[in-house]
Amino acid sequence: MRMLAVFEKSERIRHIGHLDIQRSVQRGLRRSGLPVAYSKGFNPHILVTFASALSTGACGKREIMDVTMEEEVSEAVFLEKMNRAMPQEMQLCEARAVDQKYPALMASLQAARYDLLIRDQAQAEKLTGAIPGMMARETVTAMRKTKTALKECDIKPLIYELTAEGQHIFATLVLTEREACKPGMLIEALSREAGLESEVRMLITRTGLYGKNAEGSLIPLEQM
Amino acid sequence: MELNDKIEKILEKVQKAPRYTGGEMNTAVKAWDDCPLHFGFCFPDTYEVGMSHLGLKILYGLINNESWSLCERFFMPWTDMIALMEEENLPLLSMESRRPLNAFDVVGFTLQYEMSFTNILAMLKMGGIPLESRERSETDPIVVAGGPCAFNPEPLADFIDAFMIGDGEDVMTELNRVILERKEKGLSREECLKSLAKLEGVYVPSLYDVTYNEDGTVAAVTPKCAEVPSVIRKRVVADLNNTYYPEKIPVPYTEVIFDRIMLEIMRGCTRGCRFCQAGILYRPVRERSMEKLIDLAEKLVGATGYEEISLSSLSSGDYSCLPELIRELMKRLKDKRVSISLPSLRIDSVLKESLEETQQVKKTSLTFAPEAGTQRMRDVINKGVTEKDLLEKVRDAFEGGWSSVKLYFMSGLPTETDADLDGIADLARKVIAEYFNVPKTQRAKGLRVTVSVSVFVPKPFTPFQWAAQDTVEENLRKQEHLKQVLNIKGVTFHWHEPYVSFLEACFARGDRRMGKVLRTAYEKGCILDGWNETFRYDLWMEAFKECGLDPAFYANRERPADEILPWDHIDCGVTKDFFRREKEKSDRAETTKDCRKGCNGCGLQRWKGVCSYANAGSV
Repeated sequence: MRMLAVFEKSERIRHIGHLDIQRSVQRGLRRSGLPVAYSKGFNPHILVTFASALSTGACGKREIMDVTMEEEVSEAVFLEKMNRAMPQEMQLCEARAVDQKYPALMASLQAARYDLLIRDQAQAEKLTGAIPGMMARETVTAMRKTKTALKECDIKPLIYELTAEGQHIFATLVLTEREACKPGMLIEALSREAGLESEVRMLITRTGLYGKNAEGSLIPLEQM
Repeated sequence: MELNDKIEKILEKVQKAPRYTGGEMNTAVKAWDDCPLHFGFCFPDTYEVGMSHLGLKILYGLINNESWSLCERFFMPWTDMIALMEEENLPLLSMESRRPLNAFDVVGFTLQYEMSFTNILAMLKMGGIPLESRERSETDPIVVAGGPCAFNPEPLADFIDAFMIGDGEDVMTELNRVILERKEKGLSREECLKSLAKLEGVYVPSLYDVTYNEDGTVAAVTPKCAEVPSVIRKRVVADLNNTYYPEKIPVPYTEVIFDRIMLEIMRGCTRGCRFCQAGILYRPVRERSMEKLIDLAEKLVGATGYEEISLSSLSSGDYSCLPELIRELMKRLKDKRVSISLPSLRIDSVLKESLEETQQVKKTSLTFAPEAGTQRMRDVINKGVTEKDLLEKVRDAFEGGWSSVKLYFMSGLPTETDADLDGIADLARKVIAEYFNVPKTQRAKGLRVTVSVSVFVPKPFTPFQWAAQDTVEENLRKQEHLKQVLNIKGVTFHWHEPYVSFLEACFARGDRRMGKVLRTAYEKGCILDGWNETFRYDLWMEAFKECGLDPAFYANRERPADEILPWDHIDCGVTKDFFRREKEKSDRAETTKDCRKGCNGCGLQRWKGVCSYANAGSV
């Protein structure tokens, strides 16, 4: 069986990179004493994957790990043992036992929702004000960083939803194995729309990861 | 809230933010108001270095284990962080509750190496505490320090209120009690320091006067009042099985230098290598029992989730039932997929059996420390290892499937000639030959021999405490020579900077006047001197000049046998007389046997029943 578990990456540890988060989860699983499965081979490691790597500097409210278990374990026991074994900054809030054949999370991932807290109030007002204008455009160009260069791309089709409240901008953006609109790209495009030249300081919190149901609507990935 | 905003702002800009975030697993966050005594544990180097240090984990656990005291950690920020903190007007903050250093009742520094001394000043300054003891007021914390460099406390005497000499476990709690009493009864700083000075193993430098001769040597160190001892005797924990050892340790998010469980299997060393200060300071040898170690290992694996345990001590191969211990640990931990490593293998104590067992889980490169290239030189330093021993162990390793070997040496040892340096290259060649002697089908591919040569630094409390260090120029010449003779296929040669070693030598055997040099260098901008990229030799030399002191007086001068040494008022357990005898034997290239083969009368016999090898009748 596999266990899909929703966990938090708190604000305090948001600068911890994905590799370190992975290692922390591995060690947490080892501390928990839960019957987790290990890979075969020379350097065995725990079979745990993540729905999506969260960038360094971003917090995560509902990140998802996918752990292969050696024996059956109830969701409640999994949660209880893991929360004792994980630091305060990485607590779990939900677990769901699934079948071994359940599709890989990464393959089902379609979108992510973000809460972007704009630190400067004046900037927040300008950015928020620019949302309708930007959303009315046919195309919205942004720069996408590839390994070697900056590439121009159209992010308009990658935006599912864009709203604002106070200094928060809420965005649901495409995130699949093949393409993604990162929050930085969105804010860069929005800054241009708003005529902002100074750099925007913001706190990025990824609040959810989504897949699509049979009807094509977004639903939380862990509920698929 | 404003504080956290500022922190968040600078963490967005700083390099390697994870070293400043805190919130790691097993970092106790005790409620501030529930604990009457607040201890700020300062490691005067970066997070990655400090979190690799066993002493920090022991004392952190020990202080937090007491209901009435809490301990939070402080590390030295990197230069970019310091600049950002200054910009935002932020003080040095604890990793746990983000409180400034001067909010703590006690501030404790661990003194692991001399080149971290400027970091102490930097951390005090950033923490809002006056640098010098005499500048501190009633509201400032008591600043204490311990660790190996506390044995010659004089260069730091101006800055540290009280030193803890020797094993820290017992004295730590006693010291905290005295400081708690000060807080509760509102005693003055002076009264508190006087009470501290009465604790065994505690040295309060401000209660002692130092006078000098005309030639700059020490004339006398005398107590200012009758209540304090004229000689400060180090603390010794009698039984490691009954002393505190943490059952859970912090687990950093980010990788640190030693990112594993360190299981201290014993303390001390019986070998008596004459260059080795640690081998003296941690005497006598005390072993933890196998039962205790296995229990600790299982608890620590459960509490940390670490994948690796290293058995740590100065000479793990000497642990009396090492093969049994390794076998038992492996049996118990195999299912948990924990590998076991032995870091300080000595070439004459590696058991083939245990070699094969460590390999069963994980194979890393093997380290050997012959320390010197010729037998004569090894006899001078009493490194009881022969070429035959070394080559046998190397052959065992190559046959056992290792292909990577590290060899550690020192240059600049007393009486060394170029022939001794050439011996290093000869030895490297013989090691390579051993590899090729193993049939091709039986040996692992990719031979790698790394030869590391460090510059010898004479240390206090060793038979070489009177010796002159080679000058920087001479060391540079030797380095060139080594480069030429070690230009051998398959050999990688590493060399340590002689400039840093020169300064290290000044502080290692420095007197109280060195405090002025330290402060001057710090004020000129010297910090993080242990790091190549921040070490400023030029500023240090300026500082010496301005203070009217000659570094060569400390580093390159041979001391006469009857000179009063700046650390003579500290009793490290081993007597000056023993060092004198050892020095004389060293001059004759005569060796001294391992204590396990009979008591050499080093002085530890004065602690009744603590040294298992002591002969009470010996001198």
